[in-house]
Amino acid sequence: MNITVEDVRQVWEGRDGSNLVALDGFTHTFKSGRFSCILGPSGCGKSTIAQIVGGLETPTSGKVTIEGANKAGSASVMVWQSQNLFPWRTVIDNVAFGLEMAGVQKAERADKARVLINSVGLTGFERHYPSQLSGGMRQRVALARALIMDRPILLMDEPFGALDAQTKIVMQEELMRIFDETKKTVIFVTHSIDEAILLGDEVIVMTARPGRIKEVLAVDLPRPRSVEMISTPKFGALFDRAFHLIRDEVTKAMQEQNVAAGAAS
Amino acid sequence: MKKLSRNAVLAERILPALSIVVFFVAWQLLVDLRNIPPIYLPSPLAIMHALISMVEDGSLFYNLAATMLRIMVGFLLAAIVGIVVGIVMGVSRIFERIADPWIAALYPLPKISLIPLLIIWLGTGEAYKIVISAVTAFFPIVMSTYAGVRQVDRGLVKAAEDLGANRRQTQLSVVLPAAIPTIFAGLQLGMGVTIILVVAAEMIGGSSQGGMGNLLIQAGQVLETEKVFAALITLTLMGAVIMKGQQWLDRKLTPWANLR
Repeated sequence: MNITVEDVRQVWEGRDGSNLVALDGFTHTFKSGRFSCILGPSGCGKSTIAQIVGGLETPTSGKVTIEGANKAGSASVMVWQSQNLFPWRTVIDNVAFGLEMAGVQKAERADKARVLINSVGLTGFERHYPSQLSGGMRQRVALARALIMDRPILLMDEPFGALDAQTKIVMQEELMRIFDETKKTVIFVTHSIDEAILLGDEVIVMTARPGRIKEVLAVDLPRPRSVEMISTPKFGALFDRAFHLIRDEVTKAMQEQNVAAGAAS
Repeated sequence: MKKLSRNAVLAERILPALSIVVFFVAWQLLVDLRNIPPIYLPSPLAIMHALISMVEDGSLFYNLAATMLRIMVGFLLAAIVGIVVGIVMGVSRIFERIADPWIAALYPLPKISLIPLLIIWLGTGEAYKIVISAVTAFFPIVMSTYAGVRQVDRGLVKAAEDLGANRRQTQLSVVLPAAIPTIFAGLQLGMGVTIILVVAAEMIGGSSQGGMGNLLIQAGQVLETEKVFAALITLTLMGAVIMKGQQWLDRKLTPWANLR
């Protein structure tokens, strides 16, 4: 299931009538079964592209084609940075939400949900509410809730951005294991260079606003991957390359902010 | 450290009760020592005697039951209509536009000022008491429900849609449960004003219909001040029981909202 994104442009209209070009001329083919990371400074429209592919936003112009899918969003499911778990539902009812909406019988969806809860290591927490869980556990629930949909494309919008460093490493390893097992097509949005290289088959480096593709780095590290790879020379070379690309963009973004702040004051 | 915390707990438990005891003892002493006429300020013991005799002749329970029944009917009416209208306002743009000017105009009107009109239309019977309390309670309930529905986290709605929920499912399974804590807050406000309006409405009208408000007015007019105080204490306790019961129900029905 290749995802072809052609010349996508997204413009947000402000209340005062001003236009903000979030994304411009984004063209890329996300190959089936690959793990693609979108890396960029904040405000570069990287989350927007994930939402457009997921059918959750409509681009101002341009086209997204998902091979074999008749409707935008029907082939993909999103994992959000803020998790967006339903606070009034227990873990098991959160995970089973999609099946419930699809009209699956209660016993069957509970069985399936238990399997997923087990696979993300949350057995024993089925009856807990999200507010009783830690950030890492909540993100596992969100992952299970997405995986139960069994859709070929997994969209992840900075899913580990709010987690502490240790939890993040554990979650990254878990995601790598799940990716190796399920062979989904993944689009993973992040602002962490380490994370992008560690997880991705390719890293799409974005420019500062308006977001365009600056460069696509192929990551030819072998799979299965582990966090130890971060200390290898190959990883180091990729990191340097990405870092230089990103640093230019972050500096540019900061200068623009300074100019804007100067103009405002 | 441990001893200190135990003392703190003890103080937290005992001091509130102690303050009540001290208050009543001081009251009793004041009345006894200064010889204050019971018409102005009866002693706590005299009030208790009045309370007991009202329990014995059945007048307390009769009037309390009448008031409670009116409160429940008025509140239920307001809750059902208020929640339904609030939800429809929250999900339908057209209906929101139509209802908004009406609510904006009628909300600040002191509902108690409708009493003369309602008596002209409905007389001083049950209908008027229930209508005035229901109309008053309707506003906080409808506004909280509307706000609760409108303030639902957009992220949750997007997530539900992404997980395959259609529009109706999203509203039933996401918007409504997400609004429940806010709706409950509105119901508590609504219950408060229902109690006020029912008792106030009972003060106007025939003695044949009873109710705590009627009992208060009757006792006040013949300067039976002990009875007035006895009725006030009963009303205070009734209000406290209703509000605490509502909070308990709230916690039972929305366990997720009270975890932290």
